[in-house]
Amino acid sequence: MTAHEDHDHDHDHGTEHEHPHAPIETTEMPGYYDIMEQAFQELMIEKGLIGADEIRHQIEVLDSRNPALGAKVVARAWTDPDFKTRLLENGRTACEELGITFYDLTELIVLENTPRVHNLIVCTLCSCYPRPVLGLPPDWYKAKPYRARAVHEPRKVLAEFGTIIPDDVEVRVSDSTAIQRYLVLPMRPSGTEEYSEEQLAALVTRDAMIGVIPARTPTEGMAA
Amino acid sequence: MTGSEQLLQRLPNDIGGLEAPKIEQTDHQLLPWEKRCHALADVLDFHKIINTEEKRRGVEALGSEMVGKLTYYERWIATFANIAFQKQLITPHELAAKMAEVEDRWRAHS
Repeated sequence: MTAHEDHDHDHDHGTEHEHPHAPIETTEMPGYYDIMEQAFQELMIEKGLIGADEIRHQIEVLDSRNPALGAKVVARAWTDPDFKTRLLENGRTACEELGITFYDLTELIVLENTPRVHNLIVCTLCSCYPRPVLGLPPDWYKAKPYRARAVHEPRKVLAEFGTIIPDDVEVRVSDSTAIQRYLVLPMRPSGTEEYSEEQLAALVTRDAMIGVIPARTPTEGMAA
Repeated sequence: MTGSEQLLQRLPNDIGGLEAPKIEQTDHQLLPWEKRCHALADVLDFHKIINTEEKRRGVEALGSEMVGKLTYYERWIATFANIAFQKQLITPHELAAKMAEVEDRWRAHS
């Protein structure tokens, strides 16, 4: 496939999206780094350092991970207090209970938002992210402005996402590492007392689990 | 004071707390090679060939200019190559030869 068959490409740009770049022909020579990746991978396989099928398999694993998994975890925590206790104790094993496998050696700490504390996650050094439960991070999470600013002016950062945290609510920023990842457990929106777990999960977005926005309200959920 | 001491205090990746512009809520669907590169990173990590922290430090070792000019996954593959050379898993010559081979193969099939 060509590079520009991607479906969600540039959604955030809204009306600006008028195919800003020329479509890439499939006959175009792959780029230098594309060729380097292919060559590197083939050498690793030829030398027996990795298996021939492992990259393809891992691409399937990556494709199977998306924020719906995290949303399922959050919705379960909202409806099952015992599960929530286990989740806050050990994020990884609680997610594994729901069949979410961790394909790496990372630990997961789940941070609960309350009326007194709002949590935000970042990776100032690079782009560490709870990938087994959320998939790959968005570009802005990996870019300098978010990484640089989230730790010293989180309220301003949150405001840029439209999230205003009252002054009497503490904002806690957790900085991820290669082996220690975080996931935010947002507050359950009011008016959802009768919601099923599935309906609740639909209110939980990727950005709410990063901590830059709250979970959707029932009204927002209906509009989405 | 020349300001050069700042360079000692912070390596290129260590940007937490610095001034930076407004956050642009950007995202893009990975290109096919970028996704392969990500999967490659995971597989290298599984086999303890290159772990996540080694990769991060390797990216840093590319230096500010490359960190600034290469895209995210370009930095990764350049880093994997450098680390594999250092660990003597492959040689620069082998990689160059294999890249030429991949290119020739692509030309022959297109």
